[in-house]
Amino acid sequence: MKKILAFVLIATLAFSMAACATSSGTMEIYFLNFKPEIAEVYDKIAADYEKETGVKVRVVTAASGTYETTLKSEIAKKDAPTIFQINGPVGFQEWKDYCADLKNTKLYSYLSDKSLAITEGDGVYGIPYVVEGYGIIYNNAIMEKYFALSDKAVNISSAEEIRNFETLKAVVEDMTAKKDVLGIEGVFASTSLNQGEQWRWQTHLANLPFYYEFKENKNYCNTVLAGLAANEIEFKYANNFKNIFDLYIENSCTPKNLLGSKSVNDSMAEFALGKVAMVQNGNWAWSQIAGTEGNVVKAEDIKFLPIYIGMPGEENQGLCIGTENYFAINSKVSKEKQEASIAFLEWLFSSEKGKSYVKNELGFIAPFNTFEENEKPTDPLAKEVLAWMEKDGVTSVAWTFAAFPSEEFKNYFGDALLEYTQDSKTWDDVVNVVKDSWKSEKAK
Amino acid sequence: MAYSRQKIFNVIMFFIMSILSVVFLAPLFIVLMNSFKGNLFIADAPFVFPSKETFVSFNNYLNGLSKTGFIKSFGWSLFITVFSVLVIIIGTSMTAWYITRIKNKLTKFLYYLFAFSMIVPFQMVMFPMSKMANILNLDNPVGIIVIYLGFGAGLSVFTFSGFIKSIPADIEESALLDGCKPLQTFFMVVFPILKPTAISVAILNAMWIWNDYLLPYLVIGSKYRTIPIAIQYLKGGYGSIDMGAMMAMLVLAIVPIVIFYLVCQKYIIKGVIEGAVKF
Amino acid sequence: MQKSLAKHFPLFVAPTLIAFLISFLIPFVMGVYLSFTEFTTVVDAKWVGIDNYVKAFTANTDFINALWFTVKFAVVSVVSINFFAFITAVILTRGIRGTNFFRTVFFMPNLIGGIVLGYIWQIIINGYLYKYQVTLTYDAKYGFWGLVILMNWQLIGYMMVIYIAGIQNIPNDLIDAAKVDGAGPLQIIRHIIIPSVMPAITICLFLTLTNSFRLFDQNLALTNGAPARKTAMLALDIYNTFYGRNNWEGVGQAKAVIFFVLVATIAYLQLKLTRSKEVEG
Repeated sequence: MKKILAFVLIATLAFSMAACATSSGTMEIYFLNFKPEIAEVYDKIAADYEKETGVKVRVVTAASGTYETTLKSEIAKKDAPTIFQINGPVGFQEWKDYCADLKNTKLYSYLSDKSLAITEGDGVYGIPYVVEGYGIIYNNAIMEKYFALSDKAVNISSAEEIRNFETLKAVVEDMTAKKDVLGIEGVFASTSLNQGEQWRWQTHLANLPFYYEFKENKNYCNTVLAGLAANEIEFKYANNFKNIFDLYIENSCTPKNLLGSKSVNDSMAEFALGKVAMVQNGNWAWSQIAGTEGNVVKAEDIKFLPIYIGMPGEENQGLCIGTENYFAINSKVSKEKQEASIAFLEWLFSSEKGKSYVKNELGFIAPFNTFEENEKPTDPLAKEVLAWMEKDGVTSVAWTFAAFPSEEFKNYFGDALLEYTQDSKTWDDVVNVVKDSWKSEKAK
Repeated sequence: MAYSRQKIFNVIMFFIMSILSVVFLAPLFIVLMNSFKGNLFIADAPFVFPSKETFVSFNNYLNGLSKTGFIKSFGWSLFITVFSVLVIIIGTSMTAWYITRIKNKLTKFLYYLFAFSMIVPFQMVMFPMSKMANILNLDNPVGIIVIYLGFGAGLSVFTFSGFIKSIPADIEESALLDGCKPLQTFFMVVFPILKPTAISVAILNAMWIWNDYLLPYLVIGSKYRTIPIAIQYLKGGYGSIDMGAMMAMLVLAIVPIVIFYLVCQKYIIKGVIEGAVKF
Repeated sequence: MQKSLAKHFPLFVAPTLIAFLISFLIPFVMGVYLSFTEFTTVVDAKWVGIDNYVKAFTANTDFINALWFTVKFAVVSVVSINFFAFITAVILTRGIRGTNFFRTVFFMPNLIGGIVLGYIWQIIINGYLYKYQVTLTYDAKYGFWGLVILMNWQLIGYMMVIYIAGIQNIPNDLIDAAKVDGAGPLQIIRHIIIPSVMPAITICLFLTLTNSFRLFDQNLALTNGAPARKTAMLALDIYNTFYGRNNWEGVGQAKAVIFFVLVATIAYLQLKLTRSKEVEG
């Protein structure tokens, strides 16, 4: 017993000495990262930046679905995050007291379209650092195989000709019927409904019906403002949402009742391994696809399709493009730290080294004029997003979910979708949950 | 007749207990087995042995170690547990001796206060406590020892007091009369007598602190990850669960405990029983 | 003794007491106060009276659901754990072969932490349910029984060890005398063993009851409340209220106060009840 005790003590002491040796007091900034999928890249960037400037960047990544929680507990601490992010006007209202004015920074001057920033009065409080797009990602190799079949039930011959929900449904259902011939397990990857993994449905997919609903409010020039002003919603296009959601879960590679344990990573792995032909996600997912071991999908086969939900005139609808990623600088930390934090972001988006990280490893479509035409990201999904943005006659769908009342609203929505999927709630129940929780969350 | 019936009964019981042992060990075995399987072959079929197709050797371990910084976490867990337990043992045994031997209103009140703290759920104090820890600069692996001393005080003071009450004060008194200083008396005379109780208190506290999740998560979690925090972080920290790495890290979390248990089993079980009897 | 030791209060008591004040007593008092206020950082508290308490019950049904779930869970696991622990303790005190080995095995899970336990059982239960094409998130009853099984696995050995210690304290001649008088095994258990191990029963009930009520780590790791918060126990619900949404800290604290009163009351009643039985026995 004594020997064991002595051994444990010595081991502990040795460890604590080693730990003390590594920590020394220099300038340290603290970046609370929102995107877990690229956490490892930020660690590399931080190491490089420290080598170059001597400023230590502490990167903490909040676990998926816990950013608000983590931010809340971290920001009240003495050693609070110096750089954090807000998700748009709603987030700004929550964190207002902590957002420093960034009007006079170079970072703001780099912004190519100044109207993208979050402003109030004269001040600039949030700067978007990435423009993103999402839709239905498809594997064109599988689609070509399908369109080459002689007994296909549709009369189009390429995925690009899918321009509305009706066609999409016909293609998907016929593909499901022929999945053995196509060598897939289902058309769509798992509709991940695990906790913290539901954002593709309660936020991204939900964006579409609300975009159309708020667009009809002619008092506002954009759907986000209309949404922010709405104390109650009709959820007028609930059935359109149901159409596409049903299509996902009925033609999935995973039986409905198992979806509650699936994560986004599972879905992306299914896609990367060629088990499915389609998955709804955005261009940020490239790193997950490319990073899956045994990935069989070729870069040139990866394409985007808009999410069609059966609205009239949707032939001209594009991808959902916008941002929910705005940098904010914590105004409650010391001036030096604020400046060091801004300097780090300016370095990331304007130095050669920083920019090469942004375009090659982070894969950001950065909305800054420091990036030349030839410095756009090179991954296939980002290229697709850029291509869709430039298509003539196509209107991108704005990220209206920036107007959703709270994280709590999204969680109620997601939970209801899970229960609907598992047949313990009817669709009408879901619609009521969405309407009621919008109202109650707005009333706060 | 009665004798042989008992014998048959014992044989049957032996078999039932054997089966039950297998049931008790199976979960650990299943985790171990799955830690050698590829990420995608775990959730669907955890009860299947690794096959040629699914066997990934130590990849999950390497993967998990790099993702979680497990070795560092292990170090922090060890550091915090060992020093907190030491501080608790010394601090609370002294306190217990004082408040048991000196009888006045204050010590009586303190005794009940310490006992009272045992039943208060952590959620009751977690928010103000983590604020206090932050304000007082206790949100680091050294400072958290103070927090643990405060939190462990209830059970430990209570347990020590229970034992001290049962031993006569004569020896201590004669030592004090001989001119020993109280501190000397305590460490030379009292503490050796307390040793069995100290072991029991140490074990109960070590089990608690080593496995504690929420307290260290709230107090130091964003900078220093103990083992439970590292494992919980693995779940959501990288966008999604890497099942393989998860299994491997579970194995690494369990193995030291099992080794420690098998080595010190006698003390642990005794400690637990004595801790319970003191109630 | 009194004189020479009494003045050393600062040396003997102060360190522990200061730590106790910082980490427990002051936060506890603050907690009670904060439950009547609206606050985000403890220094900006505004008095709101009993609003938070009202909100805890009326704003949504989460708290009430968690309360029922916890009560049901506590009842089922306290009964099952103590039943199995007692039975195995009786069997393992009869001197059958391998007693030491069995004891070692049964006690082991108790040393493994809640988070780790939760994930171990998540894999196993999901793997089993997979055959029926469902998972833990499918229905709250899976999460419920999952937690019960997990708790049993963790605590049976612990309680068993305490019962064994109790049973071993019973003088052998007492049981022998009963056997001579023709008492069967069940009668021996009922009339000799149970009354003699009443102190052990008190402790085991206390430990299982408070552990079940305060369960957090296992709940977080196994289900995290899924589906739709239906398997969130009180501790988890309080945690979610605190950290899950802005401006609800006061409500979280109010729930915590209710939780504390509940746990304290139950622990007190249980100790009183079984202690009174001890005297009779």
